[in-house]
This record gives sequence, structure tokens and C-alpha cells, in this order.
Amino acid sequence: MEMLTLSHVKKSFGEKEVLKDVTFSVPEHTVFGFVGQNGAGKTTTMKMILGLLPCGGGKITVNGSPVCYGNTPTNQYVGYLPDVPEFYSCMTPMEYLRFCGEITGMRAGEIKSRSEELLRLTGLHGEKRRIKGFSRGMKQRLGIAQALFGHPSLLICDEPTSALDPVGRKELLDILESAKEQTTVLFSTHILSDVEKICDEIAFLHEGRIAIRGSLEEVHKRRKASGTELETERGEDAGRLFKAFPFLKRTGRNILLLEDPERLPGILHFIADKNLRILRIERQETTLEDLFMEVVGK
Amino acid sequence: MTAFLKKEWMEWIRSGRLTVLTLVFVLFGIMNPAIAKLTPWLMETLSDSLADTGLVVSEVTVNAMNSWAQFYKNMPMGLLIFILVCGGCFTAEYDRGTLIPVVTKGLSRRKIVGAKAVALFGAWTTLYFLFYGITYGYNAYFWDNSIAEHVFLGAACTWMFGVWVISFFILFSAVAKNSAQVLFGTGSAAVGAYVLGMFPRLASFLPARLMEGMALLQGINEAADYSVSMAAAGVMSIVCLALAVWCFDRRRL
Repeated sequence: MEMLTLSHVKKSFGEKEVLKDVTFSVPEHTVFGFVGQNGAGKTTTMKMILGLLPCGGGKITVNGSPVCYGNTPTNQYVGYLPDVPEFYSCMTPMEYLRFCGEITGMRAGEIKSRSEELLRLTGLHGEKRRIKGFSRGMKQRLGIAQALFGHPSLLICDEPTSALDPVGRKELLDILESAKEQTTVLFSTHILSDVEKICDEIAFLHEGRIAIRGSLEEVHKRRKASGTELETERGEDAGRLFKAFPFLKRTGRNILLLEDPERLPGILHFIADKNLRILRIERQETTLEDLFMEVVGK
Repeated sequence: MTAFLKKEWMEWIRSGRLTVLTLVFVLFGIMNPAIAKLTPWLMETLSDSLADTGLVVSEVTVNAMNSWAQFYKNMPMGLLIFILVCGGCFTAEYDRGTLIPVVTKGLSRRKIVGAKAVALFGAWTTLYFLFYGITYGYNAYFWDNSIAEHVFLGAACTWMFGVWVISFFILFSAVAKNSAQVLFGTGSAAVGAYVLGMFPRLASFLPARLMEGMALLQGINEAADYSVSMAAAGVMSIVCLALAVWCFDRRRL
């Protein structure tokens, strides 16, 4: 079953058309990476899913129910971690989580046990200070705790790792990955290594449209290899190769890039015939970063 | 709504807002009889210097009426301080984004407006009647409140004026982007009602009449003279709150 569907969603701010036609769906119990450049419209899309912004066109459904702007009943299925989470600074983390439990109508006993469980999970257990003394990283941890509090069917995280140090980032990614068993995760990011670590499916948002969408494997298969790199020991050997095979790209004094793998045997023959000294011949695997750069046309 | 109300209560206490307002209203409550009580002494102290300028000060007698006159002079200042201290009650939440996690947990926006309105009206009522109670108590101790007519009704009229102003404050808080706009809008509504009240035909239909509590105590006005203003303030407050809910449902957080 699809937990979230966006169908031909549009959004403009004045003259500026931010989302032209966004269509994708997120199956249950997947970690879905929503990738795009800064300003691509990821936060706008997420805010529309949460009913915080009106839709300029198209339809959004969460758990089969349509999302409406303003009072949004579908939010009862959702947990949300904003990019810069802000909470009531006069409260302690325990008090804030109790408040979250109370507004979702949970029983007192359940609130207490869930609060302790999540504070332990996020490393805030025993933290008695009020939130006003928290660093951004600590707020991010509390943010994930409050987002997971009501056992949401859909967890939406807006660039959750961007403010964290490497340890905090790894811990947060581990939490998101483990949350997959109970919930569906949609998280936006431009940190592609995070996507490769935990996502099952991804969508690239570019110029208001979904440029690429699919499982991580499917997306990788789009370009099997970005090329083969050849490095010679001497600069003149690289020059001879470049002269003989002008389709090669010279990326360094001694380095050449072959984009079409079918031409490799011919080059290898030439190297053997001319007895060129080769340091390495290496096939380059396509990374998400390459794909991202290709999508954004850089 | 109870959960959000508890959060509001916690914020009122921990931010110091409740302490500041309680101190202000207690101070004003004490000031009313204190100023009345000190007036003869002040006049006597100043009599020598006033005599040099040709003014002769005869014996000054004060009673509960002087203290109540002070009460009605201080009340607008108390209301102004209340509005200024609570100015960011909604807009600070918009600025910080603290309502976003709450709304995205499925809490109805109406409950947020409702809880904030209950907190504001509750605080206003408590502080106002604390202010009134202190003045009443001292007046009863030093003098005799029975020389004034309709003491409680007069106080209830100015309380209602406060409710009317706070309703506009809630409406502008639901619409405006920052606290300056909220204060400007609320101030404009109060000044507008006051200016329109200068037209005799309109005066009895406007909440500004409710500020003339002293005339009721002195017997210049009858209790019935305030009924239309009271009803107008009540209806306008309900309309303001309904509009605030409607606007808050549609505003971007």
C-alpha cells in the first residue's frame, strides 16, 4: 500500500513556479530519500504534505486520505521533524514530550514509558535542563523524539542531518533506518552519502519536476559506469594515446578518461603494441553525486 | 485543548509574564488608595511653596471616591501594560515556528486559538479583579465604599472594555505578521472607538462608554445607560473571536 502519493502537484509563489508537476508515491515501510538542490522545492513539497501550505494544483494523499490546507486531519498519521526544529524553550525535554503525548490524546502511563524510551534512543535521557540551553544538535535529537512520539505511520524529516556532527549524523541515520520497521520515512536531503546509506527509494526534484525516481538499484542502473580512467607513467604516453584516440578526455597531465567502454579493447591493443607504461586502468562507478550533477546539468 | 492550556500556563509562569503583571496590578491596586490617602499630606507639604505663588491651600478631605477616581485613571494604563506584555503571545510562536510541531501532530488550530483566548481572558479577569479587590479592600478599611453607587457594576463595565480590547488583540494576533502590527491594530480599534464615542448619537452604542465607570459611581449615569455598550462589546468580542478562528485556520505558520 502507498503511504503517501503526490499526483501532479503544483505550487507557485507569485510569478515564481516552484513546483511544476510533482508526482511520486512512497510505499509503506520504506525509507524514501527526497533529493534536490537548495531551493529546489523540497521543503515546500513537505509543507504541502503537512497542510502547512495550500496546494497550487494536483492532489496529495496520506494513508489514502486527501490532505487539506489549514486544519489537516491527515496529520494524525504523520510525525514531522522540521529542518530547524524549535520547541517551547521553558520546558525540559521530558515536559515537551509529555505535552506532545497529551495533545495526541495518549494515556499518562503510555506517555511516560514512550518518553523514556525515546529520550534514551536519542541520547537525551536524564537531561534535566530546559530546552533554551540546547544546541542545535540536541534540538534535532529532541525533534526526532517528538516526531516519533505518537507512533506515526509516516515520518517526514526535512534535512535532518545537516546540523549534526558525524557521530550525531550516524546515530540519526541509524534511528531512521530502524524506524523503517514501524513507519514509513520520507526525508529530504542534499547529502547524497546519507541517501546511499539508508534509502530504499529516491526521487530527484529538479526544476519543479521529479527528474529521476526509483529504487536505489534502479537509479544506479541508469548509468552503469561513468567511464574508465587510464593513467600513464609518462606524460608523453598520455599524449600519444590522446593523439591516437581523440575521443578520450584528458582530465590530467597523465590521466585520460574513456566514456564508451566498447572502445577499451582497441586502446588496450594500442598500449600493448606501443609498449606504453601504464600506472592504472580503473573503471569508475557512477555515484549518486554524478547522477545528481547530471540531473542538475553541471 | 487542556494540554495546550497547560502549556500556556507554564509559559505564563516560567517566562515571568504572570509575575510582572501581578506586581503591576498589585502595585496599581495599592496606589489608588495610597495616592488618595497621601493627597492631604502632599498638599500640606506643598502649601508653603504654593502660598508663595499666591495659591492658598485649604484643608483637603479625601474619601473612597478619590480612590475610585484614581482606580479609573490607572485602569487604562493597566490594560495597556497587559497588552504590551502579552504582545508576542501569538507572533512569537510564528517567528520561532513552535506551533509547527503542534499543528503537525494533528492538534486543531481552533483549539490553539481557544486555549490562548482562555489564558488571556483568564489572566485579565484574575489580574483585574485583584486590582479591584485591593482597591476595594483598602477603601473599605480607610473610608466607606457605600458613598459610591454601583461600585461592582462600574468595575464590571471597565472589565468588559478590557475583554473587548483583548478580543481585538486576539483577532489581530491571528492575522498580523508581527507584534508591532498587532499592537497597532489593537490600539487603532481602541482609539477608533474612543473617537467615535465623541459623537453623542454613537456614544451609547460603543464600548468606549464602558470606561466612564466613575460617572456611574457618582450617580451621573444610570446603570441602564451602559446596557447597550455592554451588549455591543459582548457581540463585537464574539465576532472578533469567530473571525480570529476563521483567519487562524487559513494563515501560514
